[in-house]
Amino acid sequence: MGLVASRGGKQKKGNVTSEQEEEEQPLQAVLVADSFNRRFFPISKDQPRALLPLGNVAMIDYTLEFLTSTGVQETFVFCCWMSNKIKDHLLKSKWCRPTSPNVVHIITSDLYRSLGDVLRDVDAKNLVRNDFILVYGDVVSNIDVSQALQEHRHRRKVDKNISVMTMVFKESSPGHKSRCEEDDVIVAMDSKSKRVLHYQKTQGLKKLQFPMNIFQHGSDEFEIRHDLLDCHISICSPQVAELFTDNFDYQTRNDFVRGILVNEEILGNQIHLYVTQDGYGARVSNLQMYDSVSSDMVRRWVYPLTPEANFTDQQGQGCTHSRHNVYRGAEVSLGHGSQMEENVLIGRDTSIGANCHISNSVIGNNCTIGDNVVLDRAHMWNNVHISSNVEIHQSVVCDGAVVKEAVRLNKQCVLAYNVVIGPNLSLPEGTVVSMHHPEEEEEDDDDEFLSDDQEVGHSKDKTRQKAFNPAEVGPEGKGYIWKASMNDTEDEELAQCLWGLVLNPDPESDSESEASEESQDRSRSVSPEIDDVNAFQLEVLGTLQRGLEENIVCDNLVLEINSLKYAYNITLKEVMQILTRVVLEYPFQQQGTQLTTLQYTGSLLPLLKTWSPVFKNYIKRAQDHLDCLSAVEELFLEQDTHQTAMVKVLMKMYQLEILEEEAILKWFSTGATNDKSRQLRKNQGLQKFIQWLKEAEDESSEEGE
Amino acid sequence: MPGADKETDLTERIEAFLADLKRGGSGTGPLRGSGEMARETTYLLRRITAQARWSSAGDLMEIIRNEGRRMTAAQPSETTVGNMVRRVLKIIREEYARSRGSSEETEQQESLHKLLTAGELSEETFREHFVHLKANVIEAINELLTELDGTTDNIAMQALEHIHSNEVIMTVGRSRTVEAFLKDAARKRKFHVIVAECAPFCQGHEMATGLSKVGIETTVIADAAIFAVMSRVNKVIIGTQTVLANGGLRAVNGTHSVALAARHHSTPLIICAPMFKLSPQVFTTCSLSLNDVNSCFPVLKILSKVNVHCPVFDYVPPELITLFISNIGGNAPSYIYRLMSELYHPEDHKL
Repeated sequence: MGLVASRGGKQKKGNVTSEQEEEEQPLQAVLVADSFNRRFFPISKDQPRALLPLGNVAMIDYTLEFLTSTGVQETFVFCCWMSNKIKDHLLKSKWCRPTSPNVVHIITSDLYRSLGDVLRDVDAKNLVRNDFILVYGDVVSNIDVSQALQEHRHRRKVDKNISVMTMVFKESSPGHKSRCEEDDVIVAMDSKSKRVLHYQKTQGLKKLQFPMNIFQHGSDEFEIRHDLLDCHISICSPQVAELFTDNFDYQTRNDFVRGILVNEEILGNQIHLYVTQDGYGARVSNLQMYDSVSSDMVRRWVYPLTPEANFTDQQGQGCTHSRHNVYRGAEVSLGHGSQMEENVLIGRDTSIGANCHISNSVIGNNCTIGDNVVLDRAHMWNNVHISSNVEIHQSVVCDGAVVKEAVRLNKQCVLAYNVVIGPNLSLPEGTVVSMHHPEEEEEDDDDEFLSDDQEVGHSKDKTRQKAFNPAEVGPEGKGYIWKASMNDTEDEELAQCLWGLVLNPDPESDSESEASEESQDRSRSVSPEIDDVNAFQLEVLGTLQRGLEENIVCDNLVLEINSLKYAYNITLKEVMQILTRVVLEYPFQQQGTQLTTLQYTGSLLPLLKTWSPVFKNYIKRAQDHLDCLSAVEELFLEQDTHQTAMVKVLMKMYQLEILEEEAILKWFSTGATNDKSRQLRKNQGLQKFIQWLKEAEDESSEEGE
Repeated sequence: MPGADKETDLTERIEAFLADLKRGGSGTGPLRGSGEMARETTYLLRRITAQARWSSAGDLMEIIRNEGRRMTAAQPSETTVGNMVRRVLKIIREEYARSRGSSEETEQQESLHKLLTAGELSEETFREHFVHLKANVIEAINELLTELDGTTDNIAMQALEHIHSNEVIMTVGRSRTVEAFLKDAARKRKFHVIVAECAPFCQGHEMATGLSKVGIETTVIADAAIFAVMSRVNKVIIGTQTVLANGGLRAVNGTHSVALAARHHSTPLIICAPMFKLSPQVFTTCSLSLNDVNSCFPVLKILSKVNVHCPVFDYVPPELITLFISNIGGNAPSYIYRLMSELYHPEDHKL
């Protein structure tokens, strides 16, 4: 809108704008300033994630700037965790000035537990009237979504209310450092209409399955893409909020997308995709991402959101930009011989000593750094004090932390708020130090249950436990190691997740595909713990032996074997195989392996008769028969000198009604899988036996008629 | 309260303009082209003059200086904004002096002799109140706006003096002024234009399509071929983002190599630059503050372990330049300082 044009109509300006608003409703956005997880613990114990500084600017400011620059005129900021801090921050920022083109409403509640709760509240309060943009408070982006918005509106105009959501993705190949492994998705889409057909997170999955029906209807061109980076920006229609209300079990956007895709045919809703090639968009979902987004920002990938642009309009935040992406705020002092190599951002009033070596780092406001300090990929927030001879590699140092002389922070360390470390200490890789005791919460719970007389002793224990451990944080240090082992397993995962390193990907949790589950079952049955099987076999042998010696009733033997089965976690199929094996090997066990075939059958056949109730108990279904037969076959393949005995064993088992003739015939005709077993079936005795069985069957069937 | 309403309306406009400036430097944002930027700035300054509360010229100058400082800080690479602020300040000075009845001529002639002989510089306070000052200033700003509107045409009109038949002209990237200049010449003469594409943004492609539409024989070359092609070229005609106080240029990157190639082949290098691009800034070697380093996305799409830099501007030293063609005629680089003192008051060089 040109200024001249509006100048002419300034007298009746009020009317003009209201008319315009009626014609074109303002673009709204929902900003969720809470992550609903504990990824950034213990850092986010003191400061909500949205306010953590990235390049010395709170993350939520990036998100708001992104929204404002895309033309959003009304933003609802939803906060839960530490909502007061976020509110204070926003009220002080330029977004709440009366001149701001983007009106920010702050909505706080302690009841929000997930994105779903927020959207249900949006629906309950009836906040959105039109299509809105949904983002998290930690999204950093310069993508121009107006094109996506246009496409979304067009789709909704053409097919009335069918498309409910357009997700914004950025093209970036796998392995790009701004891709978050946890967010890796594989998307099947219709190339023409950009409709999402299938959406699956791929983290930890080795196998992917696509339902066939997605390819059967719709257009004839499909794309299956893995080169997409989820920017966590979605354009939603007001229906999205309603759908969240209708489906109270939707917690995250992932749930929603899945629900929509699964129920597509019933509800008729569709989700679309917008893929952009340029622009930058990423969500700071863990410290690994924090590190890479911060360095991208300093390297100007998020232009025009660069450090020197001072887009938040804060006094004194401005800085100068010089060669090799070195940014200096006001009143920065740099000692003699110090080098700022590349990609360095230094906040205002920070002083750096002599002979320091700084590269790829962000240093906040009011920091003091001693002499001979080496900083590489360090993220230092405000009011940090670093003494001389310190080395910091790829670590985060939060507000007010103090690092004393000659400390070395190895990779991926985190010093949370107000921690003191050192002197003369080297923190191993991945150490997280916080002023919060990791057992703080548990102890709070415990306190209530302490009885009076125990309290004295206990509190002493506690103070000892609560004292800072000089071995961990140095002789003058203050802080506790926030460690996985001190906590329950859930926290162990989280602590590792701080840097986004998921060490034990749990494929079962996310995989819905039956294939992967099935394969797991199979793999478990084929090769379970070998020790268990062996132990079970020995136990079964012992049981049978005892049964024979003490003349125990077969029912009790069955009971014993059943309990053993549970003790060693053995499947029914294995029980059968092992039982058969143990019984058939029993003569060898007792009388040595030098038996002749005659002796072997002589001792085995009575045993079979004795234990036939045990067999009958386990062999019931047709499959069981086949399993038993294959176990017999397996054993006689090993003991090839006694192959002639096999016929007699089978004959006996048939006579004892352990095995049915149909099962034997079936096994004979189909069971042959390799040369050896085929050889086995050519045994003359066996052939005769089968022949006999067949005739018997014919007879019996004739008799039946 | 209509007064308060006006005031908030004004601040809203200023904030919106600042936001626009921040989002889009170098023609990527909502404001495109420095001509438009200059006009928008002047409109806004006129609005400030009309709507802000001030009683004397001193007040008004203070207000404009403050806003000007914020505008230039919002987008340091866009020098046009600062230039227009200086022009308006100069207008206020002149109008004030005229209202007082003293001739502006005497005030302007600051000779070395005068500086030596004058004891204390008589500090002008601009405190006197004149009824017609506001109207006069707005009138003068309107004149400035008319001048801005006519700059491109004024420059294009001179085309026939510089381009002759069957010449080969080289240009770099896209400049609206140069495009108009060449098109004007094409109405009467036939010549050949070679356009260097100017990677990574490749505005040269746009330029070439524009030129070929009006029937000019056009060739696009890669930036790397500039030196090789230069021997065939009769004249290099380029635009610029800013003309610096020493007569140097801050122009789209690649210009320096064109200028050096032209010097090597003794080809004349002609710059088409309207007067509003003349800035009192000078070049300092160690800072990028003159340079606007853009996002690297056009350069490389996949990378994680590579450092990518994408500077947008080149500095071209004045000794490589043959001639400036502005809306008030052709000038040599050595004459720029003189134009500077005509356009801006020396006290306004630093806002």
